[in-house]
Amino acid sequence: MTATATPLGTAAPLPLRGRQWPLAPFLYLAPMIVLLAVFTYWPLLHTIYLSFVQWNMNPDQPMRWVGAANYSGIFNSPLFDAAFRNTLIYIVASIPLKVLLPIPIAIFVWTLATRGQVYRALLFLPTLFSFTVVAVVFLWLLNPIGGHFVQVARLLGGQWPNVLTDPDLAIWTILLISTWKVIGFNTLLYVAGLASINRDYVEAMRLDGASDWSLVRHLLWPLLTPTTLFVLISTVIFAIQQVFTPIDIMTEGGPQNGTTNLFYMVYQYAFRTFNVGFGAAGTVIIFAFLLAITLIKMRTLDRHVQYQQ
Amino acid sequence: MTLGTPWRAVGHLVLVLLCLSMVVPLLVALGMAFKPPNEVYSLVPWPQAPTLDNFRRLFEQVPFHLYLWNSVATTALRVGGQIVIAVLCAYAFARWEFPGREWLFGAVLGAMMVPHTLTMIPIYMMIAELQWFDTWRALVIPNLAMPFAVFLLRQHFRSFPRELFDAAEMDGAGHWRALWLVVLPNLKPVLSALAIILFIDCWNEYFWPLLVTDAPESRTVQIGIREFLEADHNDFGGLMAGVTLASLPALAVFFVFQRKVMDTFVASGIK
Repeated sequence: MTATATPLGTAAPLPLRGRQWPLAPFLYLAPMIVLLAVFTYWPLLHTIYLSFVQWNMNPDQPMRWVGAANYSGIFNSPLFDAAFRNTLIYIVASIPLKVLLPIPIAIFVWTLATRGQVYRALLFLPTLFSFTVVAVVFLWLLNPIGGHFVQVARLLGGQWPNVLTDPDLAIWTILLISTWKVIGFNTLLYVAGLASINRDYVEAMRLDGASDWSLVRHLLWPLLTPTTLFVLISTVIFAIQQVFTPIDIMTEGGPQNGTTNLFYMVYQYAFRTFNVGFGAAGTVIIFAFLLAITLIKMRTLDRHVQYQQ
Repeated sequence: MTLGTPWRAVGHLVLVLLCLSMVVPLLVALGMAFKPPNEVYSLVPWPQAPTLDNFRRLFEQVPFHLYLWNSVATTALRVGGQIVIAVLCAYAFARWEFPGREWLFGAVLGAMMVPHTLTMIPIYMMIAELQWFDTWRALVIPNLAMPFAVFLLRQHFRSFPRELFDAAEMDGAGHWRALWLVVLPNLKPVLSALAIILFIDCWNEYFWPLLVTDAPESRTVQIGIREFLEADHNDFGGLMAGVTLASLPALAVFFVFQRKVMDTFVASGIK
């Protein structure tokens, strides 16, 4: 591309010309807009309506308006208590494991420059595998009869507990497996964030006598804040949504609701017991939950985030 | 930036351990796929007497060839559709000024913020009403709109020289011909990267196919693995054969396009 070219983003788009059919842009947009209306925005509104009715997915049965009864029903159920508590654990424990831990690893990989290629490729590896595959592989490795963990522990003279049937340990097992799945990817996100830093500038600071710590504190960390914010947001959504697969394959929410989360609760209500009202009300609660987290994050982080450029 | 020697040693140690923890389970699973039953509990990760028996049992126990075919077909249809629809949409936004443009663009990007979690019940009801259960339609059509792809393409349109449009206009090309002759050839690199991301994303999906397929012959590979697990909880050899087949396509794509896949994934944030 020549240097004189005007990027479209900087100039206004072409106005509609007389000889063009004025509806042309809308024809190009139509498929996307129609699909989003039908499969995103309408269902979002419909869910809110469904949260006030009682229905069992049976087309022969009428929907019955029950007002806020679904909400009070959910709030009073022990399943909700467990799901809510676990969702908080999934989110809060994910922050040190998936958001903070990758930062020093990324800084180290970045200092290696091109010599870190092998590390990068290996760190990326788990991203390629589906969560189904990861869950099944660990189900095997952790299985109480002769799984690799059990055998290695025995060789070392110890005993490996059956982590998936222990109500206290199961959630941490799923947390660690989901960390295994995303930690490399998050590290690479931070490495990408660091890539924009001019290494000459770092050397200059170094010549001025800056220590490792002050480089991290005053240069690298501020430049990583936008990436950190991005990783944080995707980790929260991950903790609510993607963790569904290992839960469903490894524990189905058990033992004693020890690993269920809000999303899994909604799935069970809506598609296992066909209690549509409870499922929809649970969905609205997740929506409120996500909204609240987003608002808190924006308020607390806006003051600290330093955007580069 | 260079670190002091002790820190470098610690860094390498941590990374080597981390990378080992990632590679070892995957190698163990791969080895398992080729182990005869009497080696299943051996800690040696590779088979002493390699066999394809696990794969034979996998295809006998469940219709795994149908799972593969369903995954291949629906992934191709879905990724193809997602790209066509996103290109048309991004092209309109990049090319024209029209009433409601900002508003519509906001609506498209806003949809990026809505996780599927929040829309699944009504979509499930639509599928039920249309009697689309166990069909490719149910797997493909509700997932055709990919606002993220519009977002990514728009970033590329931004660096697109407007002179190219003007030149096409001068040659008498209408907007449809300009799209084919000028825009698409210039978008080739980003389109292939986008296709790779969407392919892996769709191939690895679990939740939606779990919800809308039930008959064994309509399942996809990821659900098929779970199906096999349910059918026989103790045949881990067969299970790992399924795991190997389910992971091959994404791995193959990675080895062929390594750099491109990594860069695009990292740029997109999709997991």
